[in-house]
This record gives sequence, C-alpha cells and structure tokens, in this order.
Amino acid sequence: MAVAFRGVSKVFVDGTVALDTLDLGFETGEFVVLLGPSGSGKTTACRILAGLETPSAGVIEVDGRDITGLPPRERGMSMVFQNYALYAHRTAYQNIAYPLRVRGAPKADIDRMVRAMAEMLRIGDLLDRRPRQLSGGEAQRVAVARALVWRPDICLMDEPLSNLDALLRLNTRTELKRLHRELNTTFVFVTHDQEEAMSLGTRIAVLRDGRLVQFDTPGRIYREPATRFVAEFIGRPAMNTIDGVVADGVFHAGALAVPVPGRPPGPLVLGIRPEDVVVTGADEAAAIAVTVDVVERIEPDLLLFVRTGEVALVARSLGKTTDAGPGDAIGLALPPPALHFFDAATGVRLP
Amino acid sequence: MSRAWRAAMLAALLAVLVVALTPYVWIILTSFKSRLDALADHPVWLFTPTFAHYPKVFIDKQYLPLVWNSALVASSSTVLSLVVGAPAAYVFARNDFAGKEDLFFFFLTTRMAPPISVVVPMFLLFTAVGLTDRPAAVIIAHTSFNLSLVVWMMRGFFADIPREIDEAALMDGHGRLGAFARVLLPLAAPGLAATAILCFILSWNEFLYAFILVAFESRTLTVGIPGLVTPHGTLWGQVAAVAVVATLPIVIFTMAVQRHLVRGLTFGAVKG
Repeated sequence: MAVAFRGVSKVFVDGTVALDTLDLGFETGEFVVLLGPSGSGKTTACRILAGLETPSAGVIEVDGRDITGLPPRERGMSMVFQNYALYAHRTAYQNIAYPLRVRGAPKADIDRMVRAMAEMLRIGDLLDRRPRQLSGGEAQRVAVARALVWRPDICLMDEPLSNLDALLRLNTRTELKRLHRELNTTFVFVTHDQEEAMSLGTRIAVLRDGRLVQFDTPGRIYREPATRFVAEFIGRPAMNTIDGVVADGVFHAGALAVPVPGRPPGPLVLGIRPEDVVVTGADEAAAIAVTVDVVERIEPDLLLFVRTGEVALVARSLGKTTDAGPGDAIGLALPPPALHFFDAATGVRLP
Repeated sequence: MSRAWRAAMLAALLAVLVVALTPYVWIILTSFKSRLDALADHPVWLFTPTFAHYPKVFIDKQYLPLVWNSALVASSSTVLSLVVGAPAAYVFARNDFAGKEDLFFFFLTTRMAPPISVVVPMFLLFTAVGLTDRPAAVIIAHTSFNLSLVVWMMRGFFADIPREIDEAALMDGHGRLGAFARVLLPLAAPGLAATAILCFILSWNEFLYAFILVAFESRTLTVGIPGLVTPHGTLWGQVAAVAVVATLPIVIFTMAVQRHLVRGLTFGAVKG
C-alpha cells in the first residue's frame, strides 16, 4: 500500500499556514517519522492523513485512490495520541476491544485478539484496570494495543512518547521497533525528538514551517543533510556551522581559515560534525589554534567546546582522553572529506 | 485541622441544618396535626397525631392522579431538555461557527425576563395551537426553561473531556454521531445526571406556568395545593400532606444519586 500527499496545504481560520504544498510518498511496511520543531506542520500532516483535519488544498492518496474526503473510520488507520486518550469509564480490556467491537468483529475473535495483543505488549495482567489505575507507561501500552489490535493498514502516532520519563521512553522505543517488525504494519510517527526519529524511522521526513525539507533514510539525513537547518537539527551535539567568506580558495571566518580549493569566492556556510573534528597538539603546523572553553565528559564521550576569536566549535572525541582543560591552547584539524557546505543565503546544501 | 476548628465547623453546619430543615420538619408535623393543633396560637410540638389528612386529600379529593401528572411533566420535560440540549451543548463545546458565543448567550437570555412577564404570551401561543390544559403544554414550557440550563451546564462537562477522546472514537470506527452517543455521553454521565436532577426538580416544583396552562385533569401537585385554600380557610393539614408527598420523590432521588450530584456539580470547578 502506497500513501501519497500531493500538494497538501493547510491554512487555519486564524491564517496560520500549518502545511505548505506538502508532497510526500511512502510504501507499505515503512516506519515513517515526521520530524520537525513545534509549528513545523508535522502533527497537522498526521491529522490530515488520519482524516481528523481537512486539507485546504491538495489530495491524500492511498494506492492511487483519492481518500481526501473519507471520514476517519473508512481509512483503515488507527492513532495513538500523546495523552493516550483512553476511555476513562472503560477497563483496559474494554479499551483495547473497543475498535474491534465498533467495527463489528465476531465476539470470539475479539477476546482472542485482545489477549494476543495484550500479551505482545506485556499488559496481560492489567486488563481489568481502569485508565486512572494505570501508570503513564502502562496507559501508553494500552493505547498502542488499542491502535494495533484490529490490524489497521497504517498506525499513526502523534508524539506518543513525549509524556513518558526518559528511561521508559527508551524502552517503549525499542518495543515499538519490535512491534513494527513483528506486525509489518505501516507506522507514521510524529516527533520533535531527532534521536527518536533516528532510532525508529526507516525514513524520516524533516519538516520546517509547513514545508518538507528532506525525506530520506536516517543515515543519509545524517551524512548528507539537505539544508543547514537539517544539519543543525539532526545529531547531538549539533553540527558545527560557521558563517564565513571564501576568498582565493580559502574559507575565512574571523580568525579561522580553512582551505576550500575550487570554491567560488563569496559568502559560504561551512559545516562539520563534532566527531569529525580532529584534536591535535597546539604545535602542529597544519592545526588551527583554538582555546578550550569548556570540557564536558559524558562518558564515553568527551566534548570540547573551543573558540578561536569569534568562532566557536564543538569537538567530540569518542573514547579518547585529553588532559586539556579550560583556557588551554590546543590544535584542531578539519579533514576536507568531512566538510559540509551550505549556501549562505538559502541554507541549501552545496555539492 | 485543629479541634477548635472542627468544633466550629460542626457548629456552623448544625446551624445551617437547623435553619434549612426546620420548615420541612414543621410541614411534616403539620401534616399529622388536627386542624386545632395546626392553628394553635402557641405552636405545639407535642400533639396527638391524626392520620386523616392523607387519605382525605389523596383519596376523597382525588389528588393521587396529580402525583402522576407531576411525574409525567417533570420526567418528560427533563428527558426532552436533555435530548435536545445535550447535543447542542456538545456542538458548543467542540465546534466553532459564526456567532457561536452570541447564540450561546441568547440561550441564557431566555431566563433573564421574570417568568411572569412571559406567561400571558405563552398562554396565548398554547391556546392558538390548542394545547392548553394538556400536559404537553407544561412539558414544552418547562423544557423551554430547562434547555438553557442543560446547554450551559453540559457545555462545560463536554469541554472538560479532552478532544482526543472524540478523535480516538473516530479512529476506532465511529462516525461523529456514534462518537457522541457511545463515547462522549457515557463519559459525561456524572454531569448529565446532575443536570437531569436539576431539571427534574425545577420542573417538579414549578408552579406559575403549570398553574396558568392547565386547569383540570392535567393539574400538577403544585397547582393542586392552592385548591386547598378554601373560602372557609386554608386546610393546613391537607396542604402539608400534599407538600410532604410532593417533596418525597426529590428527597429520595437526590439521596440515591448524591454522589453523582456532588461530583457533577463540582466537576470542572477543580481541574485535577
């Protein structure tokens, strides 16, 4: 089953443009993550796909069929909400069974399917409880079970992990990945957390201001960010991006000078991932002399926040130790293959 | 809470109880007093009870059907108000449309005029459609008052239910109507119960419109009471007997659903 957004826009009554001609297509079985900061339109895109919101323009297609006007119940999709949206007056069992009952599944099947799904999510012993007797993580599992029990074609999840504490979020993440593999259902997952996106998605759609910036696998998004925004949004610590000017094949930004042979003169943004920055001795000839500002040890990582003049950089050395402390002078090397270039005006990646 | 506070609170509660219950106790006592005792210069607390008033008024004077009339009018107007008002309240809570708040306020304005100012126009309206002296007239009249109450109260109850619940119901396979009837209404049940009780009490106790719109067979209990004020004096014992019977269903009903009522009336006042 293939899903496609074709030129989908959404303008709210107050004039807010939530989505601006979104074109996006993906296939069955994918785990698609809609990633973006708040106000990027990711939730709106998800709700339009669900049928909870009507697009102002454009169409939604499933297998080439226009489903834009279909009510939610005829789309074969389910949804997990950020606040779980469990029915408070029903038990966990009744909550999970509800979509099956509404959709008219035979009674015998309902019990079997509910119990199987509960087993899969390890909530078999909680089925008699009511939502208010469940912890956040348990309620989340019940919500996921309710969304998957009737085997929808697509399961939509709108920031489902945002209300969980850190450890639980990690566990649930792993669980979702397992569920996706076992059920082979198409997942569409909305989040603002790039780490969640990177770990879960088979493909990630990065949105900003209602526009699709990049839609690709996590690996390619990380290695070849389409714009400066994606480069800075994906990866923690974020990619170093430096505004500067190219003159005579050398990139200048304050005291920093990096050779960029073949680049046309003019303004340019240079980017390099913290882990690609090489820390050398201060005395090495090719090194860029910098001063250490702050050292952060997040084992096994070591983050060095350094500056040279006005330019600040982060270097990340995995597993290596250094005795450099604040105020020390060290040297850095920026290996040419690791450099990213972005247009200074548009932020678009340059080859 | 300190002991002194507790004692003070209890004393205050007791004072309120005495003030609130004394008239009621007095009516119950009067319904068992002979005519002489009821009219005694110095009110008597101890007297030889008579059980004559109840059979006299309900059997001999045939007031029993009036209980049925009151029940019919109050329950019908309650159901009608809820059936019409709850969906309206839901729409007010969930949808945006032009003039929404004005329309919402308009519902309240129906309660702003003193009831007596509308009674003659309403009487003429019901006469024109031939409904006077039928329970339907009182039912419709009471519904028209209760509707604003239902819409105003229920909007708050629905607004307190997260929107995602509606959306979950839609994703689970309901249409909008199904989501409302099968998911939202059960969730709003405490509020619905509280609203229903208020509607029922208001209708059951209403006198003016019931008095003007019906005269004979369809009289409600409240309308029956003035019939006991005769040229020879007020029959206090019988008045009290009718009053006691008239309050009984409310007392029983309220006690039965007290838990819901308190929850419903404070629902939304304190966010959890």
